[in-house]
Amino acid sequence: MTTTTDPATQVYQVFIKASPEKIWEAITTSGFTVRYFHGAAIEVSPERYLSHGPDGATWGDGPVFEYDPPRRLVHEWRSLYDADMASEQPSRVTWEIEPQDGEYCKLTVTHDQLGAAPKTAASVSGPGWMFVLSGLKTLVETGTPLTGTGLPAGVSS
Amino acid sequence: MDDDHVFKALADPTRRLLLDRLFERDGRTLTDLESDMEMTRFGVMKHLRVLEEAGLVVTRRSGREKLHFLNPVPIRLIHDRWIDKYTEGPASLLANLKNALEEDE
Repeated sequence: MTTTTDPATQVYQVFIKASPEKIWEAITTSGFTVRYFHGAAIEVSPERYLSHGPDGATWGDGPVFEYDPPRRLVHEWRSLYDADMASEQPSRVTWEIEPQDGEYCKLTVTHDQLGAAPKTAASVSGPGWMFVLSGLKTLVETGTPLTGTGLPAGVSS
Repeated sequence: MDDDHVFKALADPTRRLLLDRLFERDGRTLTDLESDMEMTRFGVMKHLRVLEEAGLVVTRRSGREKLHFLNPVPIRLIHDRWIDKYTEGPASLLANLKNALEEDE
């Protein structure tokens, strides 16, 4: 009997009624991210992924491994907003945007290489990415963000 | 993509159990999930397919194996659509009442 599992990987998926370009913009520019990503101002360049909290603190700062607008983005992930998580090994986030029939795109987020980052894995699983992706969908489709703080665990407003 | 599929997928105790199993331990093969269920391989496969169609389970290939991952985003979207709408009203009324009473003091 095989018992292969992969707890070091998390996969999330959502269908969004928008163009790939619009979704790409919503992922990579702070004007959008502050409204759905736990209040984080995120700027992504071909070289660097930078995230700042509402108070200006650095929440994320790492290399970009793949930058292929508006289809694929791969970057390092470190949860710098929490000292315990910041001291764990870096993990990796892959964003894939695939156009579907009927003006929809399938957005898949794979957060992997979490094997040496158990606290980070627990923090981003469940409500973490779920809140970000449902918020992203609502914002891009309606132009209005969801209500609620949606702050990650361990962060006070 | 559509709420009907999600409600239908969640309306079955075996499928909810499969989601709970993936919540406990994510990224599992069919064989591994099957060992945890009192059901034939075919039965588990059939239920996984319904969950996959509803977007509640996402599969990834890893070498020769197909791994199943829990995707909770559709449940969150149902929450946003059906729960927030009904909880926000009363909650904000109470907040307004509290503010009004405290101003009077």
